[in-house]
Amino acid sequence: MSQDTLQDFAGVWIGKMSELVQTIIGSGPIKYIVNWSRMYALWPVHITTACCSAEFGAMMGPRLDPERFGMQAVAGGLRQCDLLIVEGTVTKKMAKRLKIVYEQMPKPRYVIAMGDCACSGGLFHDSYSIVNDVHKLFPIDVYVPGCPPRPEALLSAIVKLREKIRRQEVFA
Amino acid sequence: MSQVSLSREEAIIGKLKARFPEAIEETKIDRARRVTIHFEKDHVQEIAMFMRDELGFDHVKGVAGVDLPTQKKIEVLYFAGSYSNAEVQDFIVILKAQLPRDNPIIASVVSVWESAHFHERETFEMFGVKFEGHPDLRKLLTLDNWEGPPPMLKDIKFPEMGQR
Amino acid sequence: MTTEPPSPGISISKTAEPSTLDVSVGPQHPGSGHCRILIRVDGDYIVSADPDIGYVHRGCEKIAEYRNYVSNIPHLERPNIADAIHLNWGYVLPIEELQGVVVPPRGKYISTIAAEMNRIMSHLYGLAIMQGVFSGHTTIFMWAFGDRDLFIELAEMLTGARLTYSFLVPGGPRRDLPFGFEDRLSRLLDYFEKRLVEYDRIFFSNPSVIARAKGIGVLKREDAKKLGVVGPVLRASGVKYDVRKVEPYGAYADLEFDIPTFEEGDSYSRYLIRFEEMKQSVRIIRQALEKIPKGPIARKAPLVAPEGEATGRVESSRGEITYLVMGDNSDKPSRVKIMNGSFRNLIALPFLVRNVHVADMPIIYGSLDYWPVEADR
Repeated sequence: MSQDTLQDFAGVWIGKMSELVQTIIGSGPIKYIVNWSRMYALWPVHITTACCSAEFGAMMGPRLDPERFGMQAVAGGLRQCDLLIVEGTVTKKMAKRLKIVYEQMPKPRYVIAMGDCACSGGLFHDSYSIVNDVHKLFPIDVYVPGCPPRPEALLSAIVKLREKIRRQEVFA
Repeated sequence: MSQVSLSREEAIIGKLKARFPEAIEETKIDRARRVTIHFEKDHVQEIAMFMRDELGFDHVKGVAGVDLPTQKKIEVLYFAGSYSNAEVQDFIVILKAQLPRDNPIIASVVSVWESAHFHERETFEMFGVKFEGHPDLRKLLTLDNWEGPPPMLKDIKFPEMGQR
Repeated sequence: MTTEPPSPGISISKTAEPSTLDVSVGPQHPGSGHCRILIRVDGDYIVSADPDIGYVHRGCEKIAEYRNYVSNIPHLERPNIADAIHLNWGYVLPIEELQGVVVPPRGKYISTIAAEMNRIMSHLYGLAIMQGVFSGHTTIFMWAFGDRDLFIELAEMLTGARLTYSFLVPGGPRRDLPFGFEDRLSRLLDYFEKRLVEYDRIFFSNPSVIARAKGIGVLKREDAKKLGVVGPVLRASGVKYDVRKVEPYGAYADLEFDIPTFEEGDSYSRYLIRFEEMKQSVRIIRQALEKIPKGPIARKAPLVAPEGEATGRVESSRGEITYLVMGDNSDKPSRVKIMNGSFRNLIALPFLVRNVHVADMPIIYGSLDYWPVEADR
């Protein structure tokens, strides 16, 4: 066979093989295992944005104990974390850093917008130094309203996020 | 209603007026333990040194700016307090200087009151007041590359803010 | 990213040695909070530090000119969300002075009880995060947050909110003590006093905490007065100054309590002083619950304030907060200036973080209890 035909045949064969691999992975126990491991080890990035961090700290406390879900504030770098919680008002100065942090996190990465200020502007919406539309910086998975939201509300957002992860595709 | 004696407040005003007869423009006692003194801006370092050395006011609680657009002036307020002198420990003496609004420049008091360091930086950023002699006058709170006007001036109504 | 040499704040040293390295202890860091500290490092020693704040600057003072007096309360109490009553009270005091409104005695006692509960909550928060997590002691984080939740439940019973109460308006508090509140509070105080003994055993008498914090970051008395620091930082350096005694407000003139001070001025005494202040707060609340009189809690205040200016101050958990409110015969203030404890203590950070090991920096930073949201307003 000529060189071109061999290359075409190889390209089509590799394409079909990777489709087959993706179908195998995406349909059965492998997808379950991969998603199970992702949702049971959600590590939040160490970046606090504004005053909602007090309720985030209260959620990490002994009453609600998110460590049973594998969510612990480990002092590693952000290359090992996969959850960015935008707690509270995002100022223009902090927005630049949040964007850099989001882009440095490896995929799959998730974002929770906590508080009224992160969802849509909130109490300080008419100030000169804040960013109202946080969803234009990066895609947000779960919104948690409240000012500040109760720790139980934030925990229920994490449970929702885990449900979303459980059902998502492996190569999302 | 008992008469509250304001002798300590009047003593402070008396000493300042005796030492700087031409620099002190106006004095006011708002209530007990609050004295307001309007002074000429060129004498700010001398007055600060007198307050610190003779009267015992060893720190400032803050440096504020107030924008008065109708009078075309910016006022700079110094809130002086004392930790060392037990007689005036409960006082706040507010020293006010008026600067022209289009060119607000005043000497810095950081060499006298080191506690004014960050407050003067913030007033520079928010009102545009230049403090001459400040060792490190740069922006503190707004965005790194903020090109806009000083935010706290009254005629600046940012488009996002509700009109007054 | 700034390329200017970091300024140490007090002593100017603009020459950079070639052996130094600028490190950004930035907003994304397990030990920095919502601010950035640029440190210049020579080997393991910090030569100078430059705080870069403003990451949570939301323009509270500018917003305050666009809303009326009562609508300003929610956004002015957010800067220090763990200690909201004091920011609220400091704002309301000069307005009441301008309007000539006197709060009845029962209202003053209720404000005092709420404020001292808030002081305990804020000290527990500082103990858990600034002093605990920043030095690696996560057990005190869990314990202090667990006990703080009990106080938050009581605050919810009193005001209806967990952290952001908006409880004091010009004229007095908004609600009276609910039925059963005094009983629950005294039982909680009995339990809390026993817990304080356990905190002492696990944290304050812990040899590793003492080894890390004793003798580190010494702020001498003369420097503390010159720099104008406030609050527990000032009292841990030997200056006995507390606004509750110097210019009593609320019900503090009728209540007996001590002002703890320490002479050493190091980070360990800054840890201990908050522990002692919590004990004094328990004492104050107990007396206030016994002595609280009956009667109305608030007077109706007008919606406008006359022309003039007034200054009011309170002693919050992080230090003295001074408010300047200027009225102009309308229902909106023409200027609100806030001078709070964290911003005034900021000057101690570049002063103390010089010629120390890098590992001492979180200890010094945590012992100052610097809360960036409050300093940025």
